[in-house]
Amino acid sequence: MNGHPRLRTPNPHLGAYYGIVTSAIVSLAIMLAMLEQLGWSDAAIAEVMIVAPLGLYLVIAAGTYTQNVEDFFASGRRVPPVFNGLVLAATAIGGVGFFAYTGTIFFLGFDALAIGLGWTCGLLLAGVLFVPYLRKAGSYTVPSFLGHRYRSRYLRMAASVLQLPPTALLLAAELKVAAMVAALFLPLSFSGAVILVALVVAASVLIGGMRSLTWTGSAEFITGAVGLAAPLILISVLLTNLPVPQFTYGETLSPLHDAEITTGLTPIAPDASASPFPATAPLSVTKPFLEPFGALSEGEFALLFLSIALGTAALPSLLVRSGVTASVADQRRSVAWAVLIVALFAMTAPAIAAFAKVVMFQDIAKAPASALPAWVNELSSRSLLQAGDANGDGAIGASELHIARDSIALALPIAMRLPYVITALMAASGMAIALAAAGSHLFTLSASLAEDLYRAIDRRPTALPRLIAAWAAIGASALGACVFLLIADLDPLRAALTAFAFAGATFFAPLLLAIWWPRSTAQGAFAALGAGFITVVAATAMGAFDGGHAPMTTAIASLMGAGLGLVAGIAGSLIRSRTSEAEAAYCEDMRDPEGESIYDRAQQRAAAAAAAASATASGQ
Amino acid sequence: MATDVPVSDNPARDRHQLTTLILAIAILIGTFAAVFIAIAAATALNQYWFLHFPLGFVVLSQGVLFLVIALAFWFVRVQERIDQRRSETTELV
Repeated sequence: MNGHPRLRTPNPHLGAYYGIVTSAIVSLAIMLAMLEQLGWSDAAIAEVMIVAPLGLYLVIAAGTYTQNVEDFFASGRRVPPVFNGLVLAATAIGGVGFFAYTGTIFFLGFDALAIGLGWTCGLLLAGVLFVPYLRKAGSYTVPSFLGHRYRSRYLRMAASVLQLPPTALLLAAELKVAAMVAALFLPLSFSGAVILVALVVAASVLIGGMRSLTWTGSAEFITGAVGLAAPLILISVLLTNLPVPQFTYGETLSPLHDAEITTGLTPIAPDASASPFPATAPLSVTKPFLEPFGALSEGEFALLFLSIALGTAALPSLLVRSGVTASVADQRRSVAWAVLIVALFAMTAPAIAAFAKVVMFQDIAKAPASALPAWVNELSSRSLLQAGDANGDGAIGASELHIARDSIALALPIAMRLPYVITALMAASGMAIALAAAGSHLFTLSASLAEDLYRAIDRRPTALPRLIAAWAAIGASALGACVFLLIADLDPLRAALTAFAFAGATFFAPLLLAIWWPRSTAQGAFAALGAGFITVVAATAMGAFDGGHAPMTTAIASLMGAGLGLVAGIAGSLIRSRTSEAEAAYCEDMRDPEGESIYDRAQQRAAAAAAAASATASGQ
Repeated sequence: MATDVPVSDNPARDRHQLTTLILAIAILIGTFAAVFIAIAAATALNQYWFLHFPLGFVVLSQGVLFLVIALAFWFVRVQERIDQRRSETTELV
């Protein structure tokens, strides 16, 4: 019944190609380090370190050009599990994780760990509950899976529309992070940086769809990993004498505690009237690093963790990659690799924050206000920091040191007085991860617009070929994100938390019912989608007007939306007496791990029928 | 009084689906229970230190993550064995 799966062999030279990419990035950093010693200016070093990898990504994208539909939407279903894991991890972490999450740990310390835990457990949740079954179904997008599962064109269109808010928010957040880095290090205004970044992302997705996204994403991940690991290992050796920052930053916690006391930081209690999360503008630190549940209560910590876990598990930009490997087993393995990488990052981010905080706070605790360390002026000149002796006591206290949340990762090598090439490498690394994530969100948004909305509305196969519709959607989505960023002041962290809340509330329940409950019906899926989405929209709208605590309101709404969606989905399904035979067969087939994917078999049958009809017509 | 027990038309499939469901529930309960216990016990555990870290902090920032990694790879291994058993049984039939 299932047919034998087509043999899909990955390119045997992938290891060599990505070995070359890694060597190129390492060589570029070493070469620029030598040129810095020979007198190259900081600006020139930063420009080369950021622009050269961008050129490399575009070359890789050009090399993966395709007009084949399966390659464009599913990367030919032959991506090895490790490479899919790299891109999944880059999409889950993104530039928001690299810059905003590390900054949030700097400000909140212990309490920010909920975010990293949520990402990691969310990926595991997706790997157990959804991903293997989506691979067997083989649909190119999450809305098309729901449409095929329930035999409902309208459900597919509704899911596509409801997928827009989380995906578009994440796309805008990642583009903003990448543009922020470009504007800091390249001779560009913020508007120019947004346009440059959007052009690079759109080009790398447009050329080969999921195929170019996979291979440029892998190169971007490697740049991100090398650019994060090398500086951090160096800093770890300098501060703790050991090259394993994840395990050795504990040595800095005691000096950090002393420096926090010297600079006037005292434990705080959760404040319901203020947002627990730092904003993007430079702020002072108000909470000691190790104090547990100072900004968030235990309950809020658990709610935030759950909201992010559900949002990650049901995030369309991650689930859209569920069809790219050769088999169900490979897809499962790729999620395990992604869990490993995201967990490693979640262990590393507190080390970055702790190192940055101990260096900065020890420096300002020792120095008088009249002779501040050089890094204060360096960061002030880039508008990333403000320090002044407001109370006139001759020293800078914690409340007088205002730091930009998203600059912590970049401020660390500057505060450590390392060669400038290290700062540039860190910037290129964060930008690479942001570009990989932005590409995934752009592809998810555009593929759904082209496949689930346009093709459902205009069903004439010759009106606009599939790939041209996808190219148009990619261009329009990138342009839309660009215009939005130019007119709106977006906080990437808040946008990402809201996007995860939308994804969890809207898609978790419908996907759970579609895969694990054969009795569920299209009416139930409609009810689940609608109930979840309306709950989170209502809460977000209220949160926008109630002052500071909006992110926690959104997290609670996300969990309420997922719960209500589940109840509505079960009730909606029970209203109709039975599921159709076709739906039951689809469910049965989806749970069988063997054989060709359901979508590919349907495509093969359609092609065979078209060929037979054509042969009959030519015979007559 | 004898009752009619419905006989499955595909016992291998049913066994596969049941074991898959049990494994999924076990993995998810294990993961989320570990996280919630770590959150609840964090303040109390912070009185003890491990490798220069407060214990509650290190459990949430690293311990739980190591557990999740181990569970992810263990899940892959066990699920593949379950799938393999179904495949072999189906071939024999």
